Amino acid sequence: MSEISPSVVIVEDEKQIRRFVRSALEAEGCRVFEAESGKQGLVEAGTRKPDLIVLDLGLPDLDGVEFIRDLRGWSAVPILILSARSTENDKIVALDAGADDYLTKPFGVGELLARVRALLRRQGKSSESSPVVSFGDVQADLSKRVVTRSGEPVHLTQIEYRLLAILMANPGKVLTHRHLLREVWGPSFVESNHYLRIYVGHLRQKLEADPAQPKYLLTETGVGYRFKS
Amino acid sequence: MNADSPVPSPRSDSPKGYGWTLIACVITTLVATPLREHLALTNIVMLFLLTVLLVAVRFGRGPAVLAAFLSVALFDFFFVPPRLSFTVNDVQYLVTFAVMLAVALITGQLAAGLRRQADSASLKEQQTRALYEMARDLAGALTIGQVSEIVRRFLHDGFALDAALLLPDEQDNLKPIAQLDSRLHIEQRFALIAFDQGEPVEDYSLSGYGYGAGYFPLKAPMKVRGVIVFAPNSQNPHAVREQKPLLATLSSVVAIAVERLHYVEVAQSTQVQIVSERLRSSILSALSHDLRTPLTALVGLADSLALAKPPLSAEAMETAEALREQALRLSSLVGNLLDMARLHAGRVTLRKEWQLIEEVIGASIQILGRSLANHQIRVALPKDMPLVEFDAVLIERVFCNLLENAAKYAPPDSLIEIAGNVKGGYVEVSICDQGPGFPPDKQHALFEMFVRGVPESATPGVGLGLAICRAIVDAHGGKIYAANRPEGGACVTFTLPSGTPPTVEEES
Repeated sequence: MSEISPSVVIVEDEKQIRRFVRSALEAEGCRVFEAESGKQGLVEAGTRKPDLIVLDLGLPDLDGVEFIRDLRGWSAVPILILSARSTENDKIVALDAGADDYLTKPFGVGELLARVRALLRRQGKSSESSPVVSFGDVQADLSKRVVTRSGEPVHLTQIEYRLLAILMANPGKVLTHRHLLREVWGPSFVESNHYLRIYVGHLRQKLEADPAQPKYLLTETGVGYRFKS
Repeated sequence: MNADSPVPSPRSDSPKGYGWTLIACVITTLVATPLREHLALTNIVMLFLLTVLLVAVRFGRGPAVLAAFLSVALFDFFFVPPRLSFTVNDVQYLVTFAVMLAVALITGQLAAGLRRQADSASLKEQQTRALYEMARDLAGALTIGQVSEIVRRFLHDGFALDAALLLPDEQDNLKPIAQLDSRLHIEQRFALIAFDQGEPVEDYSLSGYGYGAGYFPLKAPMKVRGVIVFAPNSQNPHAVREQKPLLATLSSVVAIAVERLHYVEVAQSTQVQIVSERLRSSILSALSHDLRTPLTALVGLADSLALAKPPLSAEAMETAEALREQALRLSSLVGNLLDMARLHAGRVTLRKEWQLIEEVIGASIQILGRSLANHQIRVALPKDMPLVEFDAVLIERVFCNLLENAAKYAPPDSLIEIAGNVKGGYVEVSICDQGPGFPPDKQHALFEMFVRGVPESATPGVGLGLAICRAIVDAHGGKIYAANRPEGGACVTFTLPSGTPPTVEEES
């Protein structure tokens, strides 16, 4: 995190939720601005130029997805969604519209802070992104296209490598199935989810200690995948 | 079709026709008698021939024959000398008679034939128009009752036939759709033969009444929709046989109407279903939102007590932690109840995709996180486990519920094992623990709602977890059952149909 404390805008209509999110973020050293409606949230986002927006999907005045589309028109600030709806489709639409991550209500302060930290870290890092990423006993050098595990080179196919590179380029961000399929296989494959499943399985076999209980290449069931560094 | 425009039946040789023939011949004689002085006998013959022709055109073949003979006789009697006697002086008149008779018979035949053809053409035309009108009426029919009524009226008015529509019910028994139809003598087995074989069945000879009904299948483009029975009424016992081609056409027109109504019904019920589905899901999601929002605040606020400055006393911290735990329990209970409502409220819409079982297991373990911290988990899946088609979110729920149960009942630090394999068309997954196992008499009842292994036990829960698992697995076409391992511990096994996974092209 940068020296000056990061600023966060919370857009949430429920006062008690705003209150605890605020106190948790302030305890973490953030400057927090609140907005209780979508329109106010957009104004706050424009004037405060925050490092992160925490957005409730179920706002009374503005659909959360519209909020994201509007915001993405002029800002790349990370967005963390709070969703009370359990249907995966709402999350997928929000993520495809440009949100970075989501938390399903109810969530604990611990989970909230973990997500917020990951997004803020990414925000800080984007300017000085290093070509070498390491997680667990794996080291990946994106500039040389070399992946090693405990010092031993790991052979990845073209597609496996491309998939890994996209996941690693977005640490902490949930990437939807559709997004990954389009980026790795191309637009004609967006309905071929089983390809993605198989190749993520391959990556886990090659890079995770226990492929059935992955620690880095995480599944967001029904939504997509997340790389946790 | 209007009741006042009946289709005429073919003109038959009625006794009236013969009477008129007699009169016509007498009149001809009376007219010709005064002309006898002025006309040659050959021209008198012509007058008689004209009469025969007219009779043939008007009254048909029988009267024409009668007119022919009568004309020859009258001509002989009144005009050929010696008059008023059948004797003939000049033998050459015999030739005249023969020629006259032959010409009269032949022209009579030809004229009557033409007449008959014209009649039958006009009858056909009327039938076609009536059929067309009926088809138009059928196209506007909104209920099956209307269809039956339109057909009955059409046949009754024009063809002296009764008809009944038989449609299959759920058990494929053919049932007449209108009460009125029960007055017809319907042989169910003939109807069934027609229905099964898709060919008309007639019981002319079999019925014992001297005439019988025809059973025509309603062959629509998609399938046979039912059977229509045609039974002659007393006027013309042979109507079914005579009108067979027309009845076959009629059957197919009716079949199309019945099929159309079937799809109208399907579309309407789909519409209703969509509306009620939408209503239900919006109620459930509103409920879910309204219940989860305060719970979220509760969990978060309890959590933030721990961050309070200055720090709370140890006792207050414990209270905060308890608050948080209880709120989370309430939330999971709400989640289970809403899930159950969703699963039980109607057809579950599955978002099935081909995927790896391993992945959902991993995701479930990740979700449960802390609640599994006190247990070891071992996942043993065969290396070549195929892709399986399922709804990941729902199957994840099954794993979460089963793993949560195992963690709840098995002693700390014991092993929870997840194993899978492929068995005859099914993929089988089992979750086994080293806890006390299920009460032996309850292993089936456990999957009912609100049934718990040990009622009122200190372990939290209301007994929805396994019921949800069963509803989900059932929706996938699989089975779920509980057992105890011989070496101790509970084991829940569920299956999913393995199907034919899509192929994945290897990278070149």
